[in-house]
Amino acid sequence: MFNHLHRITPMGILMGACAIFSLPGLAAEDSALLRQQLIELQQQMQQSQQAYQSRLQALEQRLMQLEQDKVMQLAQDKITPAANSTIVRQQTSPSDVPSSGLTSSTANPLRIGLSGLFAAGGSNADNDELEGLQAGGHDPNRNGFTVQNVELSLGATVDPYFDAQTNIIFLIDNEGETEVELEEAFMTTRHLPWGLQVKGGQYFTEFGRQNPQHPHTWAFADQPVVLSRFFGGDGLRSQGARVSWLAPTPWYSELYLGAQNANGETVTSFLAEGAGGDPTDPETIGGHALIDRDGRDQSDLLYSARWLNGFDLSDTLSMNMGFSGLIGPNASGRSTDTTIVGTDVYLKWQPAYVQRGFPFVSWHTEVLQRRYEAGDSEDPTQETLKDWGFFSQALWGFRPGWVAGLRTEFAEADGGVSTDDDPFRDRRKRLSPNLTWYPSEYSKLRLQYNRDWAEHLDGGNADSLFLQMEFSLGSHTAHTF
Amino acid sequence: MKQFIQHALLLFLVMGAVNSQAALQVVTTTEDLAAIARAIGGAAVDVVSLTPGTRDPHFAEAKPSMIRKVSRAELLILVGADMEIGWLPPLLQSARNGRVQSGNAGYLDLSLTVPLLGKMTGPVSRAMGDVHAKGNPHYWLDPRNGAHMARAIATRLGELDPPGQADYQARLAAFEQTLEQKLKEWQTTLIPLRGQAVIAYHTSFIYLADAFGFSVVDEVEPMPGIAPSAAHLSQLVQRIKSEQIDLLIMEPYYERRSARYLHDQTGIRIAVLPQSAGALPQIETYVDLFDRIVAILSQTGGD
Repeated sequence: MFNHLHRITPMGILMGACAIFSLPGLAAEDSALLRQQLIELQQQMQQSQQAYQSRLQALEQRLMQLEQDKVMQLAQDKITPAANSTIVRQQTSPSDVPSSGLTSSTANPLRIGLSGLFAAGGSNADNDELEGLQAGGHDPNRNGFTVQNVELSLGATVDPYFDAQTNIIFLIDNEGETEVELEEAFMTTRHLPWGLQVKGGQYFTEFGRQNPQHPHTWAFADQPVVLSRFFGGDGLRSQGARVSWLAPTPWYSELYLGAQNANGETVTSFLAEGAGGDPTDPETIGGHALIDRDGRDQSDLLYSARWLNGFDLSDTLSMNMGFSGLIGPNASGRSTDTTIVGTDVYLKWQPAYVQRGFPFVSWHTEVLQRRYEAGDSEDPTQETLKDWGFFSQALWGFRPGWVAGLRTEFAEADGGVSTDDDPFRDRRKRLSPNLTWYPSEYSKLRLQYNRDWAEHLDGGNADSLFLQMEFSLGSHTAHTF
Repeated sequence: MKQFIQHALLLFLVMGAVNSQAALQVVTTTEDLAAIARAIGGAAVDVVSLTPGTRDPHFAEAKPSMIRKVSRAELLILVGADMEIGWLPPLLQSARNGRVQSGNAGYLDLSLTVPLLGKMTGPVSRAMGDVHAKGNPHYWLDPRNGAHMARAIATRLGELDPPGQADYQARLAAFEQTLEQKLKEWQTTLIPLRGQAVIAYHTSFIYLADAFGFSVVDEVEPMPGIAPSAAHLSQLVQRIKSEQIDLLIMEPYYERRSARYLHDQTGIRIAVLPQSAGALPQIETYVDLFDRIVAILSQTGGD
């Protein structure tokens, strides 16, 4: 209310003044007096205007001076401990230098990640044929949609001595049933002396480069044919322990020696059901019947060895080269063994300047050979089945987020009854170009075409197209070489 | 065969013995940290960086050659603030070297020694791109932070190697003095840049802006780590024109097409700044890095 009045009052005075000045019939002397007063007023106005101007100028000057002072002060920012910055003082006291104790990265003890991998596919092979062609447990293998892999990962440092990791996978099979699998659960020592490390639990056998990799890190929508044949749909994994030794060589050289249970459904080629790799005919391999594996000594274990070497060939080119071997009992007799050997090479080129890991060119090749002793020595059909195969894949990350890939594969077998109509031992070739787009580190879309040549197929070949998508939630994706 | 294995084992052991040297073995995740560690450690330390200066340290991979280096390190110095989150944890696990694991004396996370800018408050989501909730990790681009980092390194080297402590402190004093002197020069040279609005490719120059008094008002990336879209670029063109923004700064490893497009549309000047020692030829020390940055900015920034 008072505010209102205050605003009105000066206006009223002004209006009153205007009324007086405009009054008609004023005397001449009055007008002369008024004129003089006006001139005086004008002079006063001019004077005050000048005063204001000089004051403004002074203010401007002071402002400029202040700005300059500030610039100079910034330029003089001392960075020695004697400086006046409180940040400097706080940060330099030795107790504030990060102690050897806990750091921010240990404040988040559990890494939780969930990744989902889905595919849509179409093929001129029917669904039954596709299951033989796409034999990996996580492969897209239907005309229609496939849930390839939904994986929950939990990992952390247990204590000063161990790290641990658990991967649980969820699948929806072709009958629509949800399956849950304990894919991996293991612990690893953190710092044993002499470059040693022990791992124990349920884990992927470190054979070759691809077998221990999880489906969401694969460069192709499906797993290589030869791995499906030798290690089954889920990859070679079992319960056991391994020790690895980081050799004190001038280059990276690591030796792995391990022992795992040879039975269970994920130990294909050994005591597993479906030892021939064919889930539709788990009781035979190459025409040889598999015996009741419980009849074998349960202390029969699968032994594995791997020697992995890594080099930087130049600033832009790095290479891994590994040799792997497996020996263990198989289910075709009481004293029969399987040996598998393999070698793997991985080369990756990146120019000096890379944006988000692009561009790059990589090449990954593995060759595997299996010797399967089929039948005991008293068995008249006793023989050794020899299978081998390779895959070779090249990737070209041609611009940030975009990768073009090409994979060629071959597999064949020797021995056993006719291999021609056995989808797991016939002569098989596959060519797979693909294109992957990573909108971010946490998602991808992939289009892959597979051209199959397989003796067991009626037409001899098949064409398939898959569209794959993936999401990844939670802990940051690991950038492994 | 047995004999071969025995010989091979013997060879490994001999090489292991030869490899243990007297100098303190220091491994850093980036070339900048290596440059500072060399300045402080002198001949008493053997410093090697895991990533080259030409690459974005966030997108490195845990290469086998790195495993070997970390396995022998006595001190590991890292940027921290999630900069190396993708590759350092698997690397440390493979290297199995207790001395340099988090929680031990050989693990030095420098992000804890500097005042971090750009800490996220409120809900953080990956819908915002590659945001770092702990704060922006590009803090080494403020030379005043370089002094903090050097102090932490000198202190830690002294703890790990007590007889060398006096030397480390002496080198630290010299390093600080050089930086102080240089900072005045750099800030004076860049006075024309003061108060200017600048566009960056990625959110990686806020510390540089803070040190030299300019402001980064927008990025070429619509969100950190997300590739620029046509829509975002045309918005930028509008903004550059209406606000008369005159300078775009970017690291050498980012694609140049977007910057060139903005330049063609608006005439905005582009400065490709080294973000690290080793990012461009002849940048070996931490001081070299800012000498070069300031040289480039004073050429491109002023009229």
